[in-house]
This record gives sequence, C-alpha cells and structure tokens, in this order.
Amino acid sequence: MSPSGLAERVPAIAVKGAVKRYGHVQALRGASLEVYPGEIVALYGDNGAGKSTLMKVMLGVVPPDSGSISIAGREVDMTSIRESQDRGVDAVHQDLALPPDLTVLESMFLGHEVMRTGLLGRLGVLDRTAMADASREALERLGIRLTTVRIPVKSLSGGQRQAVAVARAVMWTSTALLMDEPTAALGARQSDIVCDTIVSTAARGLGVLVISHDLPRTLAIAHRVVVLVRGAVAFDGPAHGLSVPEIVEIMVGHLRDSMGGSSNGGS
Amino acid sequence: MAVAEDPQALKPVAVDGQAEPTRLMRVLLARTVVWVFLVEVILVVVFGILSPGHVFWTAGSFRDLAVDGAEVVLLAAAVTFLLGAGELDISLGANIILSSVVGGRVMGAITATSTNILQQGTYHHVLLGILTGLVVCIATGATLGAVNGFVVTRMHVNSFITTLGTLGIATGVAQILSNGADLASIPNALQLQFGVRSLAGVFPYPALLAAVLICGLWALVTFTRFGLHTLSLGSSREAARRAGLKVDRHLMTLFIGVGAFGGLIGFIDLARFATTNIGGHQTDALEAIAGAVIGGTSMFGGRVSIFGAVIGAMLAVILNAGLVIVGVQSFYQLIVVGVVLILAVFIDQRRQRIL
Repeated sequence: MSPSGLAERVPAIAVKGAVKRYGHVQALRGASLEVYPGEIVALYGDNGAGKSTLMKVMLGVVPPDSGSISIAGREVDMTSIRESQDRGVDAVHQDLALPPDLTVLESMFLGHEVMRTGLLGRLGVLDRTAMADASREALERLGIRLTTVRIPVKSLSGGQRQAVAVARAVMWTSTALLMDEPTAALGARQSDIVCDTIVSTAARGLGVLVISHDLPRTLAIAHRVVVLVRGAVAFDGPAHGLSVPEIVEIMVGHLRDSMGGSSNGGS
Repeated sequence: MAVAEDPQALKPVAVDGQAEPTRLMRVLLARTVVWVFLVEVILVVVFGILSPGHVFWTAGSFRDLAVDGAEVVLLAAAVTFLLGAGELDISLGANIILSSVVGGRVMGAITATSTNILQQGTYHHVLLGILTGLVVCIATGATLGAVNGFVVTRMHVNSFITTLGTLGIATGVAQILSNGADLASIPNALQLQFGVRSLAGVFPYPALLAAVLICGLWALVTFTRFGLHTLSLGSSREAARRAGLKVDRHLMTLFIGVGAFGGLIGFIDLARFATTNIGGHQTDALEAIAGAVIGGTSMFGGRVSIFGAVIGAMLAVILNAGLVIVGVQSFYQLIVVGVVLILAVFIDQRRQRIL
C-alpha cells in the first residue's frame, strides 16, 4: 500500500524546524515533518502536544517564530494563507472555519467564488446556480444529501457542518490536504466515509496529513505515523506493523519520562 | 421541508419537526421588519385621519416624507454594509457636516467671488462649482472613512471607539473651517435645480437619487462577491481569514465606501438647504444604525437587510412628520423609535433562540 521510492520524491508539503512560543508556553520546539504526494501521514500526540499549532503553521494561519515551509519543493511565505491556498494546500480545522451565517454553497466557495460570465461577472456578480450544483455534488460524494445547499451553515447539525468543512477542503486542495480531527463530530458511518475520502484523495496523488484522536480508524489508512510530544517529533516511521498501544506508549511514555506523568502546555 | 431520502444521510435540523404554517404567516412571523412596516402603514392612516383636512394624505405631504427621509434612509442602507461586516461607524453625522462644509467652501470659492456676489448677486461657473463641490464632498467623506479604516485595521482600535473619536475630530474640524457659522455662499441653482426639484413634479430628485443608490447597494450585497465577503467578515472574521480573504483590505474598502456615502449625503444636504447645517446631524449616525437594526440587520454582523434598513429608518421620519402635522411635540418620536428598537432586537433574539 505504501508508495514506493518516497525518498527521491519531493514532499507535497514539508515543515522544517518549526518553533512557536505563546508567552511562556513553548508550543513547538523545532518540529519537522514531510508529507509526500500520495501519502497519508497520521499526526498523533496528547492534548497540548502542538499538533494543531503545527498544522496552523503549515497553513500560514499561525506565523512561527522560526522554521520554514515548502510546498512541492518551493519555499513559501509563512504569513500568507493565500499563497499556500494558491499552491493547492487546504485544510479542515478543528474549530470549524465556516462562517455560520453564510449558506452551505457560499461557505464552500468562499474565496473561490464562481462568477457569472460576461459583463455581470466583471461587475462581481456570483453564479450561485453553478456553485450550488458543484456543492451538492461534492457533498454527495461524502454521502451527505441536503435538499438545499441554500440554508445557513448554522442551521446544520455538527456532523453536517463537519462534512461541509471536509467537502470544502477536498474541493480546493490539489497538492496537500491537512485535517485536524476531521471525524470529531461524526458518527461511525460518516467517519468511514471521511476515511474513504482521505484514501481516495491520496490516491489522486495528494499528500494528506491527518490529526486525530481516533487512532484505530486513522492508523488503518495511514502510510506513516508521526508522534508529537511537547512540541517536538518523538516518532516518525512507517505505519505498517505499529499498534495502537505502541503509539499511545510513545505519546504518553515520553511525557511520563520527562514530566512526571502530567501534561500541560500549548494548544 | 428538507429531509434526505437516504435514512443514513444527515437531516437538516432547522427545518423539520415543526408544524408548517402558511407561507404568508411564515413571512410575517419571520421578519420583525414586516411588523414595523405594518406599524408605519397604521401610522400613515392614523395621522391622515387626525391631520387637519387629512393633509397628511396629500401628494405634497408624501413628497416631503420622501425628501426628509432620503438622507437618513440612504445613510442606513450604507451603514448596513459596515454592520454586516461586524463594524460600526458612529462618526457619520460628523462626516456629513464636515463634508458639506469642505464641499460648500470649495463650491463657494469657485462660484461666488466677492465681486460677483456683492456687486451683482450672481454666481460664476455654476456647473463647474457644483460638480467640483460634489467630488470634494465625496472625497472628504471617503477620507474620513479611510482614517476610520486605518485606525481600525492598522492600530487595531475597536470601531466604536475609533469612530467615537473621529466623530469629535470631524466635528471640531468642521467648526474650525466654518468658524462655527453656517456657509451662505452656496449657489442657489443647486437648490433650485436639484435639492427642491421633482422629476415630473412628482418624484423629488434627492429621494430619487437615494432610491437608485439603495437599489444598487441591495444588488451589491445580494448578488456580488463583494457582498458575500462583507457578510463573511461579520459572520466569522477568522473563518474569512482562513478562507484566504484579505480581511483588512476589505474592511478598509468598507470604511472608505461608507464614508463616501456620508460625503454624498453632505452634498444632498447642501442641495436641499443651500447652506450647511453645522448644528444638525448629531443623531444621524445613530438613527441610521437604529433603522438598520430595526430592519433586521444584526449588530454583530453576518446578516443584513438593505430594504429592512429603509423601512426601519422611515419609522422616525414618518413619526416626526406626522406628529408635527397633528400638532403633537415631535419629541415623542424619539421615545417611540427607542421602544421599537429595543423591541425589534428583543423579538429577533427570541426568534433566533427558538430556531
């Protein structure tokens, strides 16, 4: 299952030596990781290990104190969300990044709007029909059927919102897809569909990074596992042959060794 | 209404599980602004009955309503954009004063030199003067808007505080520029040809201009990417940022644009009265914001109604005119609008919770 010859290939997205401090809390202490095209990397770690911060750094949402990010081999401006988006990187955030008052179709196309053709388009007029059709299709691929995509996001259930966020990210990504707890609000069946989506996204040749507390489900589809402990990479190796207890041991074992059993720290 | 066929697929939660009222009832229940509109219709009927000789029902009286309402209604429609983005501008009244003072001075300097006014009582270069004055009014308003936008986006000062500050600053500058006295050297052609004139004797030009612009604003927020981005900024600033929108640039555009509308209203004010009104307009911004909120625009952004703002802002206008005509002190208008404002938001919040 694991793509062969990863070493010669250029990572879809790579972060090197990311350091981020929030006041006295050091969220990241020189974390590095790569996600290769076609590869699913599972990023694990205890609460406060720095997983979400690392992902936000990779997206340009949170500027790091030091470190570098490259997308498809080219270094990017780490303060520009737009640049990483233009280079085909998109994400599902844990705190769902959908404006609640916008309709489903509007939030799926926010920042990527389809305009009407001709003069109306030049005047900035949106083509809501085209966006509605494409949104409906993208949601159906995730097994979500809404009779209308013209209802506000806030009138959806938590699971539906999550599905919209996943569908949005999948729709706009062409290089790397980063997902922070994409199955958190979902039931078993929806979680499976999201995992299938992750597999098919990677099969299209994209790199996928998944942060999840659902170890069994994500370990089953991951090619590689990276474990973050207190802002640094404690493990980076093939997923094949790893078991959930072993990963948990790495996640908490290091904490036990270095901190006497309790965890604290950054986001 | 929206139930997925696939039992495993998720169902929209907002629309099912409730008895279906009739369509009309739903529209009535869903929108506070409908109630406000009905109140306005009732007011027009009552004032008509009570007014001497039913003078409130005459065409002239409706024309006065339209002219009186044009400025504050246009301001309400414009400020709706800032409210939609989750921001405020309470400096707009001062903006109107400052813009009309600056624009009026330029207009006067071009058209009314001491020789022609004092010796002949006529104006020079009237068209040039008026058009230049229009541009200067709008530019002054836009500049004040740019100052507001700069302070909010670059200095990260809350927009209420920012515009509270510029409200004072703009008022002070206007007083200094005018020495506290209203300008008199406005070419009377502006008033005669535009300010107090009506198209075909029926539609007052200032109201017509406001109506056209309001329709444009409605189209802008309803159909365009600009409108969508504006609402996304108010709905969730962080989500808009993560979607790659240039948040600060958009906010800057909004402040400048709404400021420009303040400047244009300053020009309309000059046209109507052929003078500045330094002592007036203190409550214009708050009236506009109150009108917008009564009309269903959220103070916290993300949800707007341009025509709701028009209906909301007209409440004060109708009350003012009606109370004067029936011979009651117009101060009661303030009380009624205040009560309606609170009730509108209260009912709106309750409805949001029920949904």
